[in-house]
Amino acid sequence: MIFAGVDSGSRSVKAVLLDGLGMRVIDSGVVDQGVGHQAIASQLLASLLERQGLSAKDVGGVVATGYARESVIEADVAVTEITCHARGVHHLHGDARTVIEIGGQDSKVLHLEPDGTVRDFVMNDRCAAGTGRFLELVARRLGKDIHELDGLSALDVKPLPISSTCVVFAETEIIGLLAGGAGTDEILAGVQKAIASRLTTMSGRLRKAVVFTGGVAMVANMSNMLSRALGVEVVVPSQPQLTGALGAAIIAASAR
Amino acid sequence: MSSECCSSAGAGSCCSGGSSSASSCPITYFEGMIGNCLEYATAAKKSGKPIVGIMCEYTPRELIMAAGALPVCLCGGSADTIPAAEESLPTNLCPLIKSTFGYHAANSNPFLAMADLIVGETTCDGKKKMYELMGMARKMHILELPHRQDCPEALAYWRAELVRLKDALNKRFNVNISDNCIRHAIEVMNRERSAKRKLAALMESDNPPITGLQLLGLKSIISGIPSDLEQYDRAIGMFSSMQGAAKKSVRVLLTGVPTVHGAERVVNIIETSGGLVVCTENCTGLKPVLDDVDTSGDPIDALARKYFGLHCSVMTPNARRRDTMASLVKQYRPQCIVDLVWQACLTYDVESYFIRDLAKELNLPYLRIETDYSPSDSARIKVRLQAMFETVRSRNQRC
Repeated sequence: MIFAGVDSGSRSVKAVLLDGLGMRVIDSGVVDQGVGHQAIASQLLASLLERQGLSAKDVGGVVATGYARESVIEADVAVTEITCHARGVHHLHGDARTVIEIGGQDSKVLHLEPDGTVRDFVMNDRCAAGTGRFLELVARRLGKDIHELDGLSALDVKPLPISSTCVVFAETEIIGLLAGGAGTDEILAGVQKAIASRLTTMSGRLRKAVVFTGGVAMVANMSNMLSRALGVEVVVPSQPQLTGALGAAIIAASAR
Repeated sequence: MSSECCSSAGAGSCCSGGSSSASSCPITYFEGMIGNCLEYATAAKKSGKPIVGIMCEYTPRELIMAAGALPVCLCGGSADTIPAAEESLPTNLCPLIKSTFGYHAANSNPFLAMADLIVGETTCDGKKKMYELMGMARKMHILELPHRQDCPEALAYWRAELVRLKDALNKRFNVNISDNCIRHAIEVMNRERSAKRKLAALMESDNPPITGLQLLGLKSIISGIPSDLEQYDRAIGMFSSMQGAAKKSVRVLLTGVPTVHGAERVVNIIETSGGLVVCTENCTGLKPVLDDVDTSGDPIDALARKYFGLHCSVMTPNARRRDTMASLVKQYRPQCIVDLVWQACLTYDVESYFIRDLAKELNLPYLRIETDYSPSDSARIKVRLQAMFETVRSRNQRC
């Protein structure tokens, strides 16, 4: 039996198809979030099923997560991304005790029990600083796309101090730095460092292993910055953007 | 039939429609609380009774009542009045202070307009300084509240402050407050506190007959109105014999800042996200009604002891909050703790550290929500609550 997890997030929609036998991922996909949440998620799910030569009747259960979780009509139940990321990460890294997830508008730190359930968690409040959206805006201000940051080898770049982690004021600060002749790599590294240190104040006492997930974990050098700021090794799953959808699919499969 | 009234309580549809008159169901009765209070205050004012605005549970309503005046709570719970307040007050101030001041600035609270005197108290720096601004246009009396409950001189000072309030009321309203008048007011307030405790105790049940939001609605901004007291008693009688439908809601203990009239948003989010607030340990919940005022001995002494004993975060240290919460946890069996902090409420904000610590000790999941009166973060609050409730349920499955 096939099970599906759909993570309809603030910036992108992710879906995972899982074979209930052996809990093996058989397909996954990511598309940009847009205005019609419901249609975007439906199309993504339908396209994955079609690609695998499957139809809706082959699917034994669907769990939705993410900010638009209530608008996924195929879902039997909606589960928060906190629980789903925990399940997804536990599936991939059974020894994970801390999950740092940085998504489009969220940054969260989850502390896990040995069985992968959530012990407690913290999330950013009314502010998108320190999230993917923040990094995206800064990158754009510097004439880069967030996906183009791969060339950044900030291990040998000295990060500039970025004092503000407010998206709007950071732009002003960056304009000032550019006017002063600072390089874009140094500025970007500075922003990454600011995000990483923001996470350290949120995370409290860390228990190993620490897994870094969410879309921002794909940004080059971000895990290094985080690792340095936290003073521990940080593991990034092979597809960090998908752990929420994976967890949702696992919950769907486990409910059977 | 009154006994059938509210049989669907807990579902939020209590007493709607049907042939029952508005007065037959206490929940419906208190839905008209502001209107009732306005009518009551207007009539009182017309009959020559002064109106005294109060801003805090530390202010002994008994002294005001003993002066033949009507104490009216003026705490603001509306986001709408905040822009008017921000013309004079800093943006980064607690919403309760701003909302209260906004009513003053926009002159949009009829109770404030009627007030012959406002009694403020030094429970936080924000309020204290706000009173200075309010005092430019209105008659104010400030009670200086000491912050050391473990210090006998502090209690003596507080007693002296209550005597000063009594003198100020005597002078302002040309009366002579007697001990007997105070004792009578104490009896009325004790009766009200006792009723509130019994109402709160309805939530001890495994399947409470009402929701936390409905319980929060059984209140009045004016204490001691005879018909309110009757309705409290009716509610106790009616709901004590009832059980709610068995539900899978997660039992929540709510602590932290007060959710005054109009600022019930977080309670509502908790109860629409799979939770049930079974105990509210704050100034709009159990905190001010846990202790009665001693009816023997000197009434001012008794008032001073009762009110100085309130465990607001302004006290240092505030050990009693911890002890009270631990005993409420035993009594109400919550499965998690939600600690609500209004933005820029420094004392509750810092004290969260100890509450988180206590939750850990009691092995209860803990969630701190820092917010204000605007609904912009409702979805974010909801996701955190739902995640905590999922955690509670998965714990239960493991056990």
